[in-house]
Amino acid sequence: MNPVAKMFMNLVGVGVVSGVILAAVFHKADPMIQANKEKELKEAIFVVLPEAQDYKILEKKVGQETLTIYEGVDAAGAPVGIAFKADGGGFQGNVGVMVGLGLDYLKLKGIKILDQVETPGLGNRIAEPEFQDQFKGVEITPKVEYIKNRKPEKPNQIQSITGATISSDAVVKNINNAVTKVLREFPKDDLEKYVKKAEAPAHAGKDGNESPKESDNGGK
Amino acid sequence: MAENNGYSLWYEFKKGLWQDIPPFRLVLGTCPTLAVTNSVVNGFAMGMATLFVLLGSNIIISAIRKYVAPQVRIAAYVVIIALLVTVADMFLAAFFPPVSKALGPYVPLIVVNCIILGRAEAYAQKNPVVPSIADALGIGIGFTLSLMTMGFIREILGFGSLFNIKILPPSLFEPWIVMILPAGAFLVFGTLIAIVNYISSRKSAASDKA
Amino acid sequence: MEEKTIDKTELKSAPESPAGPGEKLFVTSSPHFLNKESVPKIMHTVVLALFPAMAASVYFFGFRALLLYVICIGACLITEYAYQKYMKKPIKVYDGSAIITGILLAMTLPPGFPVFGAILGSVFAIGVGKQLFGGLGFNIFNPALLGRAFLMATYPVLTTTWVEPRTVQKAVDAVSAATPLALMKFEHKFTPVLDLFTGNVAGSLGETSAIAILIGGLFLRYKGYVNWKLPLGYLGSMAAFSGIFWLIDPTKYPDPLFHLFAGGAMLGAWFMVTDMVTSPTTDLGQWIFAITGGIMAVVIRLFGGLPEGVMYSILFMNAFVPLLNKHTRPRVFGAIKAKAE
Repeated sequence: MNPVAKMFMNLVGVGVVSGVILAAVFHKADPMIQANKEKELKEAIFVVLPEAQDYKILEKKVGQETLTIYEGVDAAGAPVGIAFKADGGGFQGNVGVMVGLGLDYLKLKGIKILDQVETPGLGNRIAEPEFQDQFKGVEITPKVEYIKNRKPEKPNQIQSITGATISSDAVVKNINNAVTKVLREFPKDDLEKYVKKAEAPAHAGKDGNESPKESDNGGK
Repeated sequence: MAENNGYSLWYEFKKGLWQDIPPFRLVLGTCPTLAVTNSVVNGFAMGMATLFVLLGSNIIISAIRKYVAPQVRIAAYVVIIALLVTVADMFLAAFFPPVSKALGPYVPLIVVNCIILGRAEAYAQKNPVVPSIADALGIGIGFTLSLMTMGFIREILGFGSLFNIKILPPSLFEPWIVMILPAGAFLVFGTLIAIVNYISSRKSAASDKA
Repeated sequence: MEEKTIDKTELKSAPESPAGPGEKLFVTSSPHFLNKESVPKIMHTVVLALFPAMAASVYFFGFRALLLYVICIGACLITEYAYQKYMKKPIKVYDGSAIITGILLAMTLPPGFPVFGAILGSVFAIGVGKQLFGGLGFNIFNPALLGRAFLMATYPVLTTTWVEPRTVQKAVDAVSAATPLALMKFEHKFTPVLDLFTGNVAGSLGETSAIAILIGGLFLRYKGYVNWKLPLGYLGSMAAFSGIFWLIDPTKYPDPLFHLFAGGAMLGAWFMVTDMVTSPTTDLGQWIFAITGGIMAVVIRLFGGLPEGVMYSILFMNAFVPLLNKHTRPRVFGAIKAKAE
């Protein structure tokens, strides 16, 4: 056989066979992977919104990015609070926090650390329940604050972890940033407007695009 | 090293366990050795994923070795290895999500693990399927054991635990956080290389005398 | 077999040829070494110069400080002796360098640091930081700082738990406190410079009292054991660089005097930057080494994740010493440049 043709056949053969196998594996594995991810998300939402039995996805397009938050609903379908992810830099890498906020937009219902790569035994104690539970009922106005080595005095304060100020600071900062953003983009009175409708995704997208970047309109 | 005639399967298997043990003697595959060995379980999972890919790539490459044009062999091998790695990654994500999360990007990075392509080039493409399986099993198990040894030392010193069970009470032993950090990986790795070299130089000195 | 051959060559080079480990100390361009100086004499003078700082730390932190000094010195000496004995090297434990490492290591520890941690740090400092590289004169990094860096990574909580000065005597109710640098970084509170100067602040044993270290440093300078370029370059660049930020925004950034007297700046500048083994030998190299180190320390303090940057700045610059020595060697008088045009 012509050596060039052989090379060609080799690569095409390997490529096609690999592609077919990969497609088959993907077909089997992907639903399970998606189910795992959704389960993880669901569990996180139910932790930060303890009364929730189910959740709805709320979306809004801001500029290039799409903001996604979740609205927890109880068994009767009545909303109990919203949950959203807060990302930002920690001591060594991203610290991702799921934040639960009451519908009154005044108090946190709970938080859960989703991703962190903080120093084991020190910074990663932000993932321990003792730290996370402090955020239940903490007020978000004017913003969440941490204090060191003392019990919190004001309703918007939590106590930082001794020796892990930077990680504690990262959690608080990420929460504040995300809360500010959500308060700005998702005014509490017309949450329903952003509920992602499976049947009419095009409409939701268009709606988002038309609203100006600052979204002052949404607030009024 | 690959003598086609007169090989012994046992030898091909055994050489991966000490003589050619990947991280410590060949100093190959150091990326996962340093990155994911902060516990025995993680080391084991990483070793098994690598073993699976290595076994698959050695079998396939050895089986098709006579049909692949030498000019494009590396490209073909890389596609095969990438396929196996993606399958392993999806398998872990589907069935063992916590393990998949702990290993993070290091499972896809098996593609560039020199052990895999190294064995394909140095062994599988020159040898029949059965010895290639023995080679893959030996190297893969040697690699797994190396990772578990690293994980064993780092987990005991760094967490005071073993297989995620606390065995050293904090009152007796204050865990060395450094052992879980990258710096600790380098310290343990260097020490283990020194120990392995020390033992084998003692061995070769003894065999010289005999 | 291999180890044994290595041993022999090292044995040979150490006591017989004039280029033994101790000799390293003399191959500097500095003019102030007379022939009658010896390693033990220099080392014992340095120990003497550390006495004011040790006395100050015992005054501020009590018996506990004394205990840490004794433990660190003892562990360093024993490690050095054991290693040299085991490797069948000449026993040089009496040259005093291990004592200095022990004192300096203890000075970087918080007063309440546990004894087992101090022992671990000493073993690492001498075993890994010094002897594995080949002993005194061959180590790349300052052993005491390496030991401290290891402890910092090993026990991050214990190495950053500080107590108020003069409270530790009643060991149980020692008041925990933050260092001036941590206060600056996390709470934007500036400590009065006078407190920093006398040492009436929380901090590591040897870094609290700037005046005591200054006395020791100037004594060493008077004796001629300290190359003035190194502390001057380090402290000067720290002051100048932090001064820039202070001028930009005095409410956000502390003034240069704060930087000089807070944390380990004084201790580092006088006793660690000037380490003869781990600093460059050429004039230009020393200036680069000291000035870059000072800038690094300020950058870490102001913008890094950690409140204190002196330790890492010195270790970082230690790594560049061989490179600096190689590329800053002065031209031999009368030699022609390789490429004149």
